Amino acid sequence: MELLTYTFVQYAFIGGCLMAILAGLLGPFVVQSRQAIASDMFAHVSLAGIGGALILGVAPWWGALPALILVSTLVWWLRWYHPQYSPEAVAMFFLSGGLALALALVHTARDQTFAFENYLFGSILTLTVPELLTMTGATVVVAGVVWWLWYPLVGALQQPPYQLPYRRTPQLVQLVFFWLLAVAVWIGIKTIGGLLIGALLVIPVLTVRAWVASFRGVVIASMGATLSAVIGGLLVSLVFDVPPSSLIIGVLIIQFILQLLLTRVRTQA
Amino acid sequence: MSNPIITVHNVSTRAAGRAILHDISFTLAAGELATIIGPNGAGKSTLVKILLGLERPDTGVVTVAPATRIHYIPQLSVDDSTGLPLSVREYLHIGTTPLYCAEPGPFDLPAALMHVGVDASKLDQTWQSLSGGERQRVAIARALLSQPTMLVLDEPLAAVDFHSRNGLYELIRHLQQVHQMTVLLVSHDVDSVLPISDRVLCLNQILHTDCHPTQYHAATGTPVPQVHHHC
Repeated sequence: MELLTYTFVQYAFIGGCLMAILAGLLGPFVVQSRQAIASDMFAHVSLAGIGGALILGVAPWWGALPALILVSTLVWWLRWYHPQYSPEAVAMFFLSGGLALALALVHTARDQTFAFENYLFGSILTLTVPELLTMTGATVVVAGVVWWLWYPLVGALQQPPYQLPYRRTPQLVQLVFFWLLAVAVWIGIKTIGGLLIGALLVIPVLTVRAWVASFRGVVIASMGATLSAVIGGLLVSLVFDVPPSSLIIGVLIIQFILQLLLTRVRTQA
Repeated sequence: MSNPIITVHNVSTRAAGRAILHDISFTLAAGELATIIGPNGAGKSTLVKILLGLERPDTGVVTVAPATRIHYIPQLSVDDSTGLPLSVREYLHIGTTPLYCAEPGPFDLPAALMHVGVDASKLDQTWQSLSGGERQRVAIARALLSQPTMLVLDEPLAAVDFHSRNGLYELIRHLQQVHQMTVLLVSHDVDSVLPISDRVLCLNQILHTDCHPTQYHAATGTPVPQVHHHC
């Protein structure tokens, strides 16, 4: 394990753990509010922001953040003020639209060094100190907001959502949640990749849900599952020359299958 | 009529070219238990959303008396097996969080549960493990925690088994009297709600009947149900 002494590997573990905390924290809210497709949609939209940043000549990753905040606000607005458009249709609109716009913008920018793959499948082994500091700050902010708005978030994202006559507070809490999810996806495209962030948000929740008796328990157990998957996946990727993202998702799937087997054993016992 | 708590004046709304509500007008008085009944598609849920300010009518006005605190209990799902575990304690806390409740009531959580006839030991059970009747009672407990002056329940019996229905209605009636709340029920189960209501509003796009429950069958021309004794 001499590789663990390399700085870039240590940065990968720190970045991965930050991503795992974010995914474990927000994943249960994503599943509870049936917004699993939203993380995929946001990931595709972030690519359009990256394309815009390339044209403007700014750091691509930073271009994704305003695009994510803008689209998450738009999605929320459509959800509440134009409910005739189903959530799935809105998600597909932005998912496909974001990808199409990204292709056009990246082609127009003609940046020879840019590679889509770094954001689609992550580039956790290339994290820098400024990026880690940004990710740490973002994780602290997201965790702080979730802690502060814990019960309002649980209420606004349950089915059916908590509603207050003549007040829009739960709806505004939902908007905050969309922003938090946008930030998580923003961190995710740099670490595990836009196409895989959805798995990190959803699979651990499905794995732990049968073993806990409260929403707080789901969140804590999900964080444990994502952290162990990220650390396990990274460690295995150091031994075998396989992309870390694929191994992280592989560990998540193994956790899920083991849980299914354990549930079967528990039911028969 | 005593103090009006909600006044609905000439409310109409349409969707997809079809009239959902047409020229609805009525007033709810403070402290009464009124029931809106009507078949599926009659516009009951739309009217409730308009009363609660969750939707705007195309025309007409809804006026709510100042200092009215309305708590809305939507129709509870019969099957929420896809939902994540949520403890009863967490479910109740949602109603007392300062962002959603400016003035939490006098109950602590165990007392609120016992007040609606649910054992306090259920606090740490999951919401999903409760029966339909218990869920409805816990939903009412959460409402009481926010000290409402008006309670609106949409189809409170939708997920409740037959044997629990009367007890639940008696609880609603009891709480309405003890807490001097205005209660608005929405139901399509006419014969169950008539005995506890002060007033019945029969809706089917238009307001067909607005009468005392004893006059309902005469006013609508429907047969009075026979009483059956179940063993």
